[in-house]
Amino acid sequence: MSKLTLNGVSKAYGATLALRRGDLEIAAGEVHVLMGSNGSGKSTLCKIIAGSVRPDGGEILIDDRSVTISGPQSAREQGIGIFYQELSLAANRSVEENVCLAMLPVKAGIFVDRAAMKALAARYIDLFSGVSGDGFAAETLVGNLRADQRQLVEIMKALASEAPILIFDEPTSALDRAQVDRFFHILRGLKRDGRGIIFISHRMDEITAIGDRVTIIRDGETIKTLNLSETDPATVIRLMVGGAGDMPASQSSAPAVASFAAGAAMTVDRLSGAGFRNVSFEVAKGEILGLGGLHGQGQSAVLRAIFGASSEMSGEIRIGGDRFDAKSPRDAIRRGCAYVSGDRGRDGVIAGRPIIENVTPIHYLRDRLMIARPSSLKAKAMPALEAMHTKFASLMHPINSLSGGNQQKVIIARWLIDKPDVLLLDDPTKGIDLSAKADLFALIRQLASEGLGILLYSSEDAELLGNANRILVFNGGSVTRELTGEDRTRYNLYQAAYEAA
Amino acid sequence: MNAVLSFLKKPLVIALILIVALLYLGENLSPGFASADQILRLLIVASLLGIVAAGQNVVILGGREGIDLSVGGVVSLSAIIAGNVMNGADGGIVPAILACLAAGAFFGLLNGLGVTLLRIPPLVMTLGMLGVLQGLLVVIRNGIPSGRAAPGLSAFVTQPLALGIPGIIWLWIAIGLFMAFMLTRTVFGHRIYAIGSNEHAAYMAGVPVRRMRIGLFMISGMFAAIAGLCLLGYSGSSFANVGEQYMLSSIIAVVFGGTSLAGGKGGYTGTMAGALLLVILQGILTTVNIDESGRQMVFGATLLLLMLFYGRGKAMRA
Repeated sequence: MSKLTLNGVSKAYGATLALRRGDLEIAAGEVHVLMGSNGSGKSTLCKIIAGSVRPDGGEILIDDRSVTISGPQSAREQGIGIFYQELSLAANRSVEENVCLAMLPVKAGIFVDRAAMKALAARYIDLFSGVSGDGFAAETLVGNLRADQRQLVEIMKALASEAPILIFDEPTSALDRAQVDRFFHILRGLKRDGRGIIFISHRMDEITAIGDRVTIIRDGETIKTLNLSETDPATVIRLMVGGAGDMPASQSSAPAVASFAAGAAMTVDRLSGAGFRNVSFEVAKGEILGLGGLHGQGQSAVLRAIFGASSEMSGEIRIGGDRFDAKSPRDAIRRGCAYVSGDRGRDGVIAGRPIIENVTPIHYLRDRLMIARPSSLKAKAMPALEAMHTKFASLMHPINSLSGGNQQKVIIARWLIDKPDVLLLDDPTKGIDLSAKADLFALIRQLASEGLGILLYSSEDAELLGNANRILVFNGGSVTRELTGEDRTRYNLYQAAYEAA
Repeated sequence: MNAVLSFLKKPLVIALILIVALLYLGENLSPGFASADQILRLLIVASLLGIVAAGQNVVILGGREGIDLSVGGVVSLSAIIAGNVMNGADGGIVPAILACLAAGAFFGLLNGLGVTLLRIPPLVMTLGMLGVLQGLLVVIRNGIPSGRAAPGLSAFVTQPLALGIPGIIWLWIAIGLFMAFMLTRTVFGHRIYAIGSNEHAAYMAGVPVRRMRIGLFMISGMFAAIAGLCLLGYSGSSFANVGEQYMLSSIIAVVFGGTSLAGGKGGYTGTMAGALLLVILQGILTTVNIDESGRQMVFGATLLLLMLFYGRGKAMRA
C-alpha cells in the first residue's frame, strides 16, 4: 500500500517554473532518496509536502485519499514531519525544550509539564547516547552546542514528531561517521515500523547505504524512479546530467590554454582553515582556474581566506614568488589581489551612495589618495564602467537606482581602475541577468588574456565548463579531482562532486 | 509641482522655513526678539552648539548605532581645563587650546577603543564615559578653584571681529566649510559614508573600519573640547556641568538636519540649520518663562517627534 503519492505537482514563482511536474510515490517502510543538482526543484518538492509552499497544480494523496496541505500545521496533522536543512532551533532554549517544541506536554491546560517533557525528550536524546559528543546534555542550551550537535537536535526534533512520513533534507551534512552510522541504524528501525522516509543527501555512499529507491529530478521534472539495488551510481549521475553530459566543454568557448611558461600568478600550498583543509593549487598568469563541486564544499571559504577575510588559516600563499599572507582585505588589495562576491548586498554595494563612490574605494587605497577630486575620479571611473557595458544615468545617481546586474558591474568595475594580479570570483553571477553574465565573462576572458590569474567559483556548472581552463572539484572541504582538457565534462563534474569525500 | 514638493520636503529647507517662522513668532511674543543684536547673540549660542554637533554628526554618520553621549562631559571638562590653564591671561590661550584638544582626543580615543576593540555598543560606552567625566569634574572642583577666561578669548567669542560679526561665528562658518569639504571631497569623508551604509562591504573594499571609527570618536571629542573652550569665553568662568545640555541638543540638531541615526546618510549643512533652529526655540521658551527643566522636556519631545517624521520606515531598523 502506498502511503504518499504526488501526481503532476507544479509550482511557479512569477515567471520562473521551479517545479514543472513532480510525480512521487513513497511507500510505507521505505527510504526514498531524492536526487537532483542545485535548483532542480527537489527543495520545492519537499516544501510542498511539508506545507510551507502551496502548489499551483497537481494532487497529493495520503493512503489513496486526496488531501490539501494548507500549511506546516496542517502537514503535521496529516502525519508529515520534516527535518529542515536551515536549522530551525531556538538558541536560548535547552536541548530537551527544543526536541519537544512542537508538542510541549501541558498540565492543567496552561502549564508546561516539565517531568513529562523531560521523559519525552530523554527518549530521543538517548537514541544518540555515546555519539553526541562532549558537553551534550538535555539541559544544555542549544546556542552552546557545536554544529554537528545542533544538527542532532534537529534530527531528534523531527523524530519526536512521530510522524508516519518523515522528510530529511540533507540531515548528515555536519555529522561525523559514528553519528551518521547511528542515525542510519535509527532510520532502519523506523523502516521496520512501516514509516515512509524521504531522504536528501549529496553523498553517493550514504545514498546506497540507506536508500531503497531513488527518484531523480532534473530541471523541475521527476525523470525516473529506480530501485537502488538494481542500479549503480554511474547510471544515477547520467540521469541527473541528462543527454549532453558526456560531451566535453565546447572548445570554442574556452579561452586559449594558458601556458605556465608565463609563470604562476598565484601558488597556494596546503591551505587549511575553517571549512577547508589541505588545499593546494597553482594559477598561471592568463589562466582561468575553475572551482567546482556542490555548493558550500569550501570553495568560497578558500577564496575568502586568500583575500584575508577569515581569521584562522594555515599554509602558504605566493603571488609572483613573494610570500602572500594577507592579514585583512586591505592588506590583500594593496598587494594586488581582487575579490568579487556574489552576495553583493552584503559584501559589495555601499547602499544609498552615488555610483562614483561605489567605483572608487579600491582606487583610493591603491593610489593612497587623500583628496577625492570629482573630475579626475570621473576620468578614471568612466573607462572601467564602460569596459563592463554598465548602463547608468549619471555617476552621482545612487547605486540602488540600478538593476542587480548593473550594480554587480559597478562592483566589478571598482577593480579595473588599478588592475590586480589575481582576481578571485566567488560565484559572481548570482542573481544577475543573462546579458550581464555574458558581459562579465567576456571581460573575464579579456582580463585573462592580459595576464591576470583568475580563480572562478560558480554554482552554475555551465559557467565553469564554458570558461575555465581547468576545474578543481571540491568535496567536503578538499580538492578531490582536477579536470583538464577533454575531461571537462558535465558528467565528470557531477561524478566528482557526488562521490564520497 | 512634484519638484516643489520634494524641494520643500528636504530637511534643510524645512529647518530654514521653521527658523523664519520661529523668529516671526518670537518677535510677536516679545518685540526685539528678532533684532540684529539679538540674532547675533542667538548665532553665538548656536555656534557653540553647532561645533559640538559637528562631532556628533560624524559619529552618527559612521553608523553601527554610532552616537556620542559623552560630549556634554567633555565640554564641561574642557571649560575647566581651559579656565585653569589660562587663568585670565591672554598668554595662556594657546596652551589652553592644546590642552583642551588633547583631553578631547584622549576621551574620544577611549570611546573609540571601547566601541571597536571591546565591542561595547556606542550608546553604553559613551554613557559610561559621561559618568566617568562627571565624577572627574566633581573631583577636580573639590581640589582646585576653577579659573577665568582670558580677555582675548572672551572678545573672540562675544565682540565683533570682522564685518561686525564675532570671531566664533566666523569659526563656525569655517568649520561648516571644512566639514562640507571633508564629507564630499576627501577620501576620509567618502569612507565615513561607506562604513555608515555598509560596514562589511567597506571592509571588503579595504577601508580600515576600526581605525576610522576610533578617528570619528576622537574628532567628536576634539570638537566638544573646542566648544568647551569657547563656552568659557562666552560665560567668563566655568560653572558646574556647564556642558550638560549639549548631549541631547547636539543629537537633536543632527537629526533635525536630516542625518539618519542609522548612519550613512546626511550631512553637516542641515545640522547647522538644526542647531540654529534649536537655539531660537530655546530663546522663545525662555521668553515665555519656561525654565530649564521645561526646556529639556520640550527638547526631548522634539527629538521623539523628529524620529516620527524622519526616522519612520527603515532608518532605525536598518
